[in-house]
Amino acid sequence: MSDSILFKQVSIASEDDSELLVSDVLIEDGVIKSVSSDLKPSDNSRTIEAVGKVLLPGLYDVHVHFREPGQTSKETIATGTAAAINGGVTGVVAMPNTLPAIDSGGMVKSVLETARRDSRINFLTTGCITKGRAGKEMAAISGMKEAGVAMITDDGSPVENPQLLRRAMEYAREFDLPLASHCETMQLSGSGAMNEGRRSYKLGIPGIPSISEEICIARDIQIAAYTGAHLHIQHVTTAAGMEIIRRAKNDGVKVTCEVAPHHLIFNENHIVDYDTYYKMNPPLRTEEDNDRLLDGLVEGVFDVIATDHAPHTEFEKKQQDFEAAPFGITGLETALPSLNHYFIDKDKMDWGQIVKRYSSEPRRLLGFNPVSIKEGEAAEIVLFDPNGETTFTKDFMESKSPNTPFLDKTLKGSVELVAVGEKVLLDRI
Amino acid sequence: MIEPHKDLLQIEDLSKEEIESILAAAQPFKELFKRSVKKVPTLQGKTVLSLFYEPSTRTSSSFEVAANRLSADFTSLAVASSSVVKGESVLDTVDTLGAMKADYIIIRHKKAGIPNLIASHTDASVINAGDGFHAHPTQALLDASTLYDAFGTLEFKEKKILIVGDILHSRVARSTSRILSMLGAEVRVLGPGTLVPPGRPKKMKNFQNYKDAMEWSPDVIYLLRVQFERQGEQFFPSSNEYHSVYGLTEDRLKTVKEKGIWVMHPGPVNRGVEISDSVMNYERCLINKQVENGIATRMAVLYWLKPKTLPSDE
Repeated sequence: MSDSILFKQVSIASEDDSELLVSDVLIEDGVIKSVSSDLKPSDNSRTIEAVGKVLLPGLYDVHVHFREPGQTSKETIATGTAAAINGGVTGVVAMPNTLPAIDSGGMVKSVLETARRDSRINFLTTGCITKGRAGKEMAAISGMKEAGVAMITDDGSPVENPQLLRRAMEYAREFDLPLASHCETMQLSGSGAMNEGRRSYKLGIPGIPSISEEICIARDIQIAAYTGAHLHIQHVTTAAGMEIIRRAKNDGVKVTCEVAPHHLIFNENHIVDYDTYYKMNPPLRTEEDNDRLLDGLVEGVFDVIATDHAPHTEFEKKQQDFEAAPFGITGLETALPSLNHYFIDKDKMDWGQIVKRYSSEPRRLLGFNPVSIKEGEAAEIVLFDPNGETTFTKDFMESKSPNTPFLDKTLKGSVELVAVGEKVLLDRI
Repeated sequence: MIEPHKDLLQIEDLSKEEIESILAAAQPFKELFKRSVKKVPTLQGKTVLSLFYEPSTRTSSSFEVAANRLSADFTSLAVASSSVVKGESVLDTVDTLGAMKADYIIIRHKKAGIPNLIASHTDASVINAGDGFHAHPTQALLDASTLYDAFGTLEFKEKKILIVGDILHSRVARSTSRILSMLGAEVRVLGPGTLVPPGRPKKMKNFQNYKDAMEWSPDVIYLLRVQFERQGEQFFPSSNEYHSVYGLTEDRLKTVKEKGIWVMHPGPVNRGVEISDSVMNYERCLINKQVENGIATRMAVLYWLKPKTLPSDE
């Protein structure tokens, strides 16, 4: 990077304001030097004419799967973080369902070591609640805390035994570790592969009923209320589940939750001709759920947006039938353009909400201060052109896996530049 | 004008006119069976491969007889005992078979959507002979063909069809109800609350009991097989209880006879569960007709489809 970058007439997004603030922004030595009108370029500064473009603080995604160690044909920490940068995401929290699972201090250290070598952005990992994610006995929670885990979770599975979950919450509470929960009642999900309803009946695919998720949300909230632990509910997909969380928050339970872009945009009716790029767990629900979840996001029921970026190889997804193919789609590279395309562009969300839910609140959830575009702050910035276009070809995407419903589709909006400190991580200008 | 299709995967892919054209094509084959020579040279030199990943007697032999009567070369692969068990994926098998230059692939599989997956990977015509809970389009066509003969018309408007039994796990219920609705009939259902899912098409209303269903005065009672083999969990307390609540019993047969109702069943029948012995001999029981029409209808389907393996001038 040249010593400084000057953005001329850029539109600054901030969590405190639904409107964008048009100004010049000067970044020098990795710090936001000045935010004001009519800034003059110095001799060695790069000037970017940014009329109509949005400058956002770097996004933070608290739910990604990078598959390392063990399943590096799907993704690695290197390719996963490259995908994050490609989507304007400058911080990630990886899930522990690797092979072997991240369930000890040693595993946590090893993964963080890999990230120090391969990641150019802020990388955190979670650790398991139970050993091997097997749901039988508690993992080494204090050891993982010491090694630096952000949260504990058995993501991909619920802790089925309520007594074990209760003990884990009581124990984790004393280490100030949030416990993140994949809410599903396995006996109700059975062999289900998509939402149970009209579409699953028509396709003849075994269904996963909405109550599978909702019952577990209610159960986990009751245990959190009883133990006083911090419960974070992952990837909520049903309106009824969301309402349970809303009530619990009103009652003062220490519960936070996330929603994924695909659960706001797609529903079961998008599953046409057994396309496995619409298969994930929890599954796409109904059109009404899309609308109600978006309302919930705008109203603040959801603390954060998180993608559940879940790479799988083309072979696993496309050479197998719908039931056999693994659950999950990628999301890091498509999240911001898709939110722009479907919601910002149609005035259903504003930029303040995007910054709050996909940049500031995720950092607060992890105990960090949010980053923002204010004088004196360290630079962690994304320049986004809301009127640009991105076509998500395999060539464009940095992820090792192409399993997204947006593959080869074009969305409105384009991530143009990403910089963290003195480093420009992405430059498409 | 009707363009022939490459595949027959689900009834939803066919228009009413296309269904009528297949059913019309089946009629001359039914006549053919009355002759001493039941064979025509229509598919001479063509290869029909049959892949049954699920056990079946009547459907697989019905396809075999149909292919033979059209003079095709018919080969059935014992997939249950072949490399499939050794972990080869379905698509690998299909690639291997591609080398055999089959023109038609008939497939039955326990997973929904497998025929669709195969169809997009081969030039051969793929005929779905039943996939999971999804579809069984040749069964639907033979059922429609059987009712065509019974009613003496292809206009099913104002006809009432009552489907009884396991709607949840039945590909027959899905495909047959679809084709009968398309031909104008009204289809309603009766069965245990556990097996009549709310996700079924809205117009398929349900009855709570036999009495209400009979008061509706159906023209046809279509009994579904209780599929014990698909049920890893309990959907009703016992076969006896099923028979007493939802079975077509002696007592119920009286009303059925009085009203002149046709009785159908896709087979194989669980005697004493969905149907009692005596009903099998009832003169308006169409079960054997269904089997007979299965051959003619499958001949019509083989005749009607156009594989991409053939040169365009054929």
